[in-house]
Amino acid sequence: MNSTGLSRENDAETPSSGGHRTVAASLSVSGLSVHYRDFTAVGGIDLEIPEGEITALVGPSGCGKSSFLHSLNRLTDLIPGCRVAGSIRLSDGTEVTHPKTDVLSLRRRVGIVFQRPNPFPQSIRRNFEIPLKEHGWRKRDIPDRMETVLREVGLWNEISDRLHKSAIALSGGQQQRLCIARALALEPEVILFDEPCSALDPIASGVVEDLIHSLRGRLTVVIVTHNLAQARRIADRAAVFWVRDGIGTIVEHGPAERVFTAPSNPDAASYLSGARG
Amino acid sequence: MTPPTPRARPVAPVWLDRALAFAGATAALLSFGLFAWLVWDLARLGLPRISWTFLTGEIEDAGRSGGIGPLLVSTLLILVCCLALVIPLGTGCALWLSEFVRRGSLAARLVTGGVDLLASVPSIVFGLFGMVFFGQTLKMGFSILSGGLTLACMILPILVRTTLSALEALPADLRPASAGLGLTRTTSIVKLLLPAALPGIVVGITLGIGRALSETAALIFTSGYSIRWPSSFWDSGRALSVHIYDLTLNVPQSGAMASSTALVLLALILVVNSAAVALSEHWLRRRHQTS
Ligand SMILES: Nc1ncnc2c1ncn2[C@@H]1O[C@H](COP(=O)(O)OP(=O)(O)OP(=O)(O)O)[C@@H](O)[C@H]1O
Ligand SMILES: [Mg+2]
Repeated sequence: MNSTGLSRENDAETPSSGGHRTVAASLSVSGLSVHYRDFTAVGGIDLEIPEGEITALVGPSGCGKSSFLHSLNRLTDLIPGCRVAGSIRLSDGTEVTHPKTDVLSLRRRVGIVFQRPNPFPQSIRRNFEIPLKEHGWRKRDIPDRMETVLREVGLWNEISDRLHKSAIALSGGQQQRLCIARALALEPEVILFDEPCSALDPIASGVVEDLIHSLRGRLTVVIVTHNLAQARRIADRAAVFWVRDGIGTIVEHGPAERVFTAPSNPDAASYLSGARG
Repeated sequence: MTPPTPRARPVAPVWLDRALAFAGATAALLSFGLFAWLVWDLARLGLPRISWTFLTGEIEDAGRSGGIGPLLVSTLLILVCCLALVIPLGTGCALWLSEFVRRGSLAARLVTGGVDLLASVPSIVFGLFGMVFFGQTLKMGFSILSGGLTLACMILPILVRTTLSALEALPADLRPASAGLGLTRTTSIVKLLLPAALPGIVVGITLGIGRALSETAALIFTSGYSIRWPSSFWDSGRALSVHIYDLTLNVPQSGAMASSTALVLLALILVVNSAAVALSEHWLRRRHQTS
């Protein structure tokens, strides 16, 4: 209830316990392609995304990182004319791309945070109430859930006295942490980040980066970033996207350490060394 | 202050700026003057008569004396009918256009085209249509219901257009944000999009109310002329605007009464509009702060 700074939620290093049903899930992608009408943006993707680890997707602009990321929780469905082929399997056997898959519960399990912070233009509290209610949380459990995740993202002390105020009035960095908290509130198993820091100033960016790093072990994290230093700091695994024959694909992937220090693909090597891209 | 290159002549001389500002101010003053003159003229002729008995009394001597009580009630009932139909219909149509069909699809183009055409139909044509369709085909006769529904058809395009542009002006990342959290479309529309678009929708309703309350031609053949107290939506009832028209055209020596009625109509529009704005603000604030 009235947890102070010493409570368990505040310690982000320990895998969360006590009431959380969160378990990380792994994703296994094979033969995936994303098409916009006749245009194939991404093709031939095979990638294992292990549970509880941070996988960074890097590569030059326009090579299909976002398209790939959005296919992981079917946000690609929102774009008219966009089609995804191939297989994305969650560790419990759920086939993401299958037409009969329950998209709404899939998106609860595979959450997403976007480049531009996008809180709802309502009160901070409503930002949690709407999605939590939607996914079956009881009304009386919502305040606790909200407090827990706001503590996890380090916002509780900053904003606990203005939960009834508009979320839009927060600073960009606070808004982004609010969006992360909102995604975490639904107890996802995987969380996708699409350049979560690129709209933020360096300090706010550092805070968000630490926060993402702290999710390691509890959740499976997939993060697209243009900041190679950031990818190096936080990622366990990395995948380099590159446009080959007009189609975006993964040219190098594996443990982050190896990908960044000894890439075998020449395109990836030149991109990572800063020579191209 | 300092020009980019010394001695370079400014493209437009400064006096032109001044002249433009002066012309703008004159135009603004004239526009306001017109409004002020109109209100003052109405008030000068009409204000002396306005009293509680005028607002609640019945019409006497064909409108040369007495009050406008029954007409005020009829007008409000017509407005209620009209809004009860046009608000759900207009928002529904705009929601469908913005959230459920692809922009530029044949269906969307047909519907927007139809709605836009409706907007250019003269109100007298709506009156004739209402008389035949609501009055005769649906057997509502000359009634407040007929009149209100006819007005609803007439102001529908205003509501659809304003609601649609309010929905289209919403931040583009609202929809991915709600989809990314696994919200259903219904939740997203009811709890996010409509509240965010509410101020725009209210502007549409406000414009519509203004249009509806000042309408004469569409009502003459539908809600009719009766000056008795209406006892239900099925009764005929004369609207204030129809009364003004009737006094001016058919009743000699009733100019002052017409002015008084016009003044009341103006005040009514003001009151109803402020009520709509206040209500939506109150609702938004509640929405913002509590569950
Ligand atoms: N909605 C769309 N309709 C058509 N083509 C699209 C759409 N979205 C993306 N594309 C195309 O797909 C390709 C991949 O785009 P995507 O946004 O996935 O790249 P990205 O790697 O995320 O780029 P960035 O780093 O700039 O965000 C690009 O060629 C882009 O033009
Ligand atoms: Mg992108």
